[in-house]
Amino acid sequence: MTAPLVFSQNASLLIAVILGIFFGMFLERGGLGNPHKLTGVFYLADFTVPKVMFTAILVAAFGLYLLSDLKLLDMERVWIVPTFFWPQIAGGALFGIGFLISGYCPGTAVAGFASGRLDALVTMIGIGAGSLLFAVLYPFVEGFYVSSGMGGATLPKIIGISHWFVIAFLVVFAAGMFYFMEWFERRGREQS
Amino acid sequence: MEKNNFWSPYIAGIGLGLTLLATFYIAGWGLGASSAFSLLTGVGIKDISPEYASSLKYFSQYLNVESPLMNWVLFEVGGLFIGALAGALLSGNFRLRFDKGEKMSPVTRGMTAFTGGIIIGFSSRLARGCTSGVALSGGAQMAVAGWIFVIAMFVSGFIAAAFLRRLWS
Repeated sequence: MTAPLVFSQNASLLIAVILGIFFGMFLERGGLGNPHKLTGVFYLADFTVPKVMFTAILVAAFGLYLLSDLKLLDMERVWIVPTFFWPQIAGGALFGIGFLISGYCPGTAVAGFASGRLDALVTMIGIGAGSLLFAVLYPFVEGFYVSSGMGGATLPKIIGISHWFVIAFLVVFAAGMFYFMEWFERRGREQS
Repeated sequence: MEKNNFWSPYIAGIGLGLTLLATFYIAGWGLGASSAFSLLTGVGIKDISPEYASSLKYFSQYLNVESPLMNWVLFEVGGLFIGALAGALLSGNFRLRFDKGEKMSPVTRGMTAFTGGIIIGFSSRLARGCTSGVALSGGAQMAVAGWIFVIAMFVSGFIAAAFLRRLWS
């Protein structure tokens, strides 16, 4: 049988909890419940976030496209995150500021709260308030929100090259970045 | 004092990547987080005032379904909490605290935590997801969405940090 797999609603929700448990455990154990580590990258002090993030992206990208090429996973049935170019550029830029100020993002705020951080609970309430703000202002932002849609555009598709070239490029890019980060962190430790 | 006995970020990243891969394989979509907050807010507003909730067009995607709380991302975020709690307890990292930058007063920290949260909540609706649903899941699919979000987030975070030096140091 080709994945994605089909389950009843109850089974699907149970699977969601189990996958979430692994998600939360790896976030917390990786140090991503800690706002000092989460914001460290922006001060060039702690590169935990890009290290965890890019490692996870590369592992999942490699596995996803390998399973697809081996016909074990039907990519046509995988929901590709849709691109809306300008709203996502603006959203990402605004998100970076909120991330820096609060010290969390939505998933890591939950991980921070689960490790006993009450400031993360305040951020979680703020995220709810921000969602409400968006819903209230929606009539004014809707035009922008639905603009510059590109559907399920992916880098290999729009560049027109094999996905393995893009993955290979990202591996080389990440390896160089990790090397620089390790060197920079070591230098920082030696100086202090 | 926190033990700081975290795993290597590369090990945690491999674990997170395999979890994401399993999610793609089993469910046919990626991991999420921010929509759970938006959903719960919509349900909460509906409990307080059904008329007002129905006037908010954006929330109709959550509320115009048979049972709004039977939601995949909401259950996944519930699991996220359990998993992070287990990780913190088993490693001795759990401690009730109000975490903040060294020189910051608790009141100021309460304000930065809340204000930052509002910005995150608003911007993740605008971008159709956050670091989980767009950056991580979209990034791994090599969706254009994931990479433009990541680049915009880091560039703006670096610029903001240059102006907000004392926030975390």
